[in-house]
Amino acid sequence: MTFVRAALATAGVLLATGFVRSPAPLPAQEAPAGKATYDRWCAGCHGADGAGGGPGAGTMLPRPRDFTTGRYQIRSTPSGALPTDADILAVILDGMPGTAMPGWRDRFSDGELRDLVAYLKTFSPFFESQPAPETLPIASAPSASEEALGEGRDFYEKIECNKCHGPTGRGNGPSAPTLEDDDDLPVRAADLTENWLFNGGGSVEEIHERLVTGLNGTPMPSFHDLIASEFMTEDQLWNVAHYVRSLAPEEPPRVSEVVRGARVEGELPASVDDEAWEVAERFYVPLVGQVVVEPRWFTPSVDGVWIQALHNGREVALRIVWHDPSRSPDPEWEEWRAKVVAIAEAGGETSDPAAAVSDTSGAAPDTTAPAAVTVAAHPPDALVVQFPRTIPDGMERPFFLMGDDREPVYLWRWENGRDGVEELLARGLARYEPLPGAEAGAVAAEVAYDDGEWRLMLRRPLDAGGVEGRLSFEAGRAIPFAVFAWDGSNGETDTRGSIGSWYFLYLDQPTASTVYVAPILATLLTAALGVVVVVRAQRRARNGAGR
Amino acid sequence: MKLLRHPFWQAVLVLLVAWILITFGIPYLPRLAGMDSAPVPSSVVLQYMVTVLVGVLIWVSDSDERWNRFLEPIRATMVEPERRWLRLGLLVAIPLLVGFLAFRQVRQTVAAPPSLRSIHPAPPSSITFRGTPMTLAGLENPLRADGSIAEDYEEGKRVYYENCLPCHGDALDGRGHYAHGFNPAPLAFNQGGTIPQLTESFVFWRIAKGGPGLPKEGAPWNSAMPVWEDMLTAEEIWAVVVFLYDQTGFSPRTWEEAAGEGGE
Repeated sequence: MTFVRAALATAGVLLATGFVRSPAPLPAQEAPAGKATYDRWCAGCHGADGAGGGPGAGTMLPRPRDFTTGRYQIRSTPSGALPTDADILAVILDGMPGTAMPGWRDRFSDGELRDLVAYLKTFSPFFESQPAPETLPIASAPSASEEALGEGRDFYEKIECNKCHGPTGRGNGPSAPTLEDDDDLPVRAADLTENWLFNGGGSVEEIHERLVTGLNGTPMPSFHDLIASEFMTEDQLWNVAHYVRSLAPEEPPRVSEVVRGARVEGELPASVDDEAWEVAERFYVPLVGQVVVEPRWFTPSVDGVWIQALHNGREVALRIVWHDPSRSPDPEWEEWRAKVVAIAEAGGETSDPAAAVSDTSGAAPDTTAPAAVTVAAHPPDALVVQFPRTIPDGMERPFFLMGDDREPVYLWRWENGRDGVEELLARGLARYEPLPGAEAGAVAAEVAYDDGEWRLMLRRPLDAGGVEGRLSFEAGRAIPFAVFAWDGSNGETDTRGSIGSWYFLYLDQPTASTVYVAPILATLLTAALGVVVVVRAQRRARNGAGR
Repeated sequence: MKLLRHPFWQAVLVLLVAWILITFGIPYLPRLAGMDSAPVPSSVVLQYMVTVLVGVLIWVSDSDERWNRFLEPIRATMVEPERRWLRLGLLVAIPLLVGFLAFRQVRQTVAAPPSLRSIHPAPPSSITFRGTPMTLAGLENPLRADGSIAEDYEEGKRVYYENCLPCHGDALDGRGHYAHGFNPAPLAFNQGGTIPQLTESFVFWRIAKGGPGLPKEGAPWNSAMPVWEDMLTAEEIWAVVVFLYDQTGFSPRTWEEAAGEGGE
């Protein structure tokens, strides 16, 4: 119902603007002042003609803004309306998080920025033909009390945020797989737990402004009319904003190069949702698209995983948690997958398996078969944890992207729908072979999926058990590891997926008692020295006085 | 003010000012020149402070009179009955501080192992590009000779936006939208320390051979730089080299400059 109303409002404004379209009013005689800046720094993505079709655009989702339509997502103005100059400027300065649009603060002078905004507006006739857009008045924010959050939670469902963004905001609502923008390109419902990736910024004020104004050109409607029609109050919409903000952490995750695994006494957690995991320290590992070897992948689904580690001196357990709106292979997402793959192939990344592997050594092992999986099949979700075969002594380690022929890597590979975890050797990205001599089930695995979140627990004895190529974990050493993830419903398989660089797993050693000896000794020695110095000084002073 | 005429407090003041300058002043300098900065490592701070301390001691012991005045408050703290509590406090506080510092040294620390790498490793004198031998020493960008540099710039721009953008960014500052996923971070071209220090043939080599083509001192196992000769032609790479210099406004290092300084 709300959707229909918002759509009608948008359609009304668009119709109105459509009727007053005036024929090309661009002054062609002299180059506008902002053109030089635009051509040099913006045209690479947005195109020299402003239509969003520059050379960088082909593989991007979402696509760069098409300025000729006058449709701007991040605005302070009513749904369907043009942005103000200040709105355009704010996006140039701050960029659009979660997209390829960077912030350009400190790059241009105020004059250059003013000219650039003026030039962007010349791409669309609407700025000429329509009255200057006006910022919607924003009511001041009520404080985010417990009741406010509760009411925000209620309205989150009443105004159907959950339809696209999911019951707990992980971007996995029932409509999420069907979402398209006005150019019929697939568009993701934002994962509301990752506010640092919100296109219009992650503060509660920015979230509220998006709720009030909507995101033109996308399925995200404006809820301003619901206030006008007294379906909800200004405060209630603010409470939705507070609630959405509360779904994400206070601060964006900090990336630490070292993932620390605490030592526990007794048994390791028995299951993926064991209470022990609630207290174990969590580390964030960011993942990005695989853009290193062909076929590359510019539209990854998984943008990071949370990793926890524990050990007890005999076994190590890892727990990896990540968001993925689809439990692939998921038929609900089949259409989405086909669209994303078609866009990737139109962007020039073929699925030709021969191009996937650049074999420089000439000695191709006969185990490169996985690269030949056709993208016609709907692949399962998958995750790989990569280790070197032995803990490196020096700085040298295998190539971060699944090793090479000279120095293979040791992998744990989990795949949805397959029991357990495979132990593999890889000699290049997605060039797997089973680890020779590995007994099945050596790495215990337990997985849970609910509401757009995978939770995977992996457990293995620290010792390699004499199997060549299998890493022996040791406490007190920096053990390189890397994580790779695939969302099958996003068309991801083999070289098409999310990759990350080397990080270090550090398993805590039991604290040696000698650690306390040195500081105590140092304290006592210094104190004794101090007393001696003072006593001697006093004795000398007395003698001096007596003399 | 009277305190400041006393050599003991003067010495304390000098040490304090030196510490502030070293820890806050020095990291501020590169920022004045528009470069990235980093905190001064604690071992370097210690070195500087020891030097300053030695200087201060030489100065206070320069004349007997000043030396005696300098020692006055120290001696007084050790013997005067009315300073008993200060004395006792110091006798407790200093050993505890030393103990704490010792503990910081020996406790279990969790840090990534040092990853030293040469950012501009020495290039080979020749490479094999797609099976064809190519001599790098003395090699100029062939596109500079054919007089169509504006077209080469446009071609280089296309190649850059189709391929390099996700990591190196559209501002050429090494902060593309995938840059945060990689370690080492992608190179920023818009800083004086990078491409203006390099000949175009060096840049060509780095692009053509990517991370895996680095010598060991360049830590090839960490670099996410692709082996572009697998994906781009020599002309496309030379064009993107033209684009990098033109877009940043830098000039490549010439072979004359390189020879004048004894080569790379």
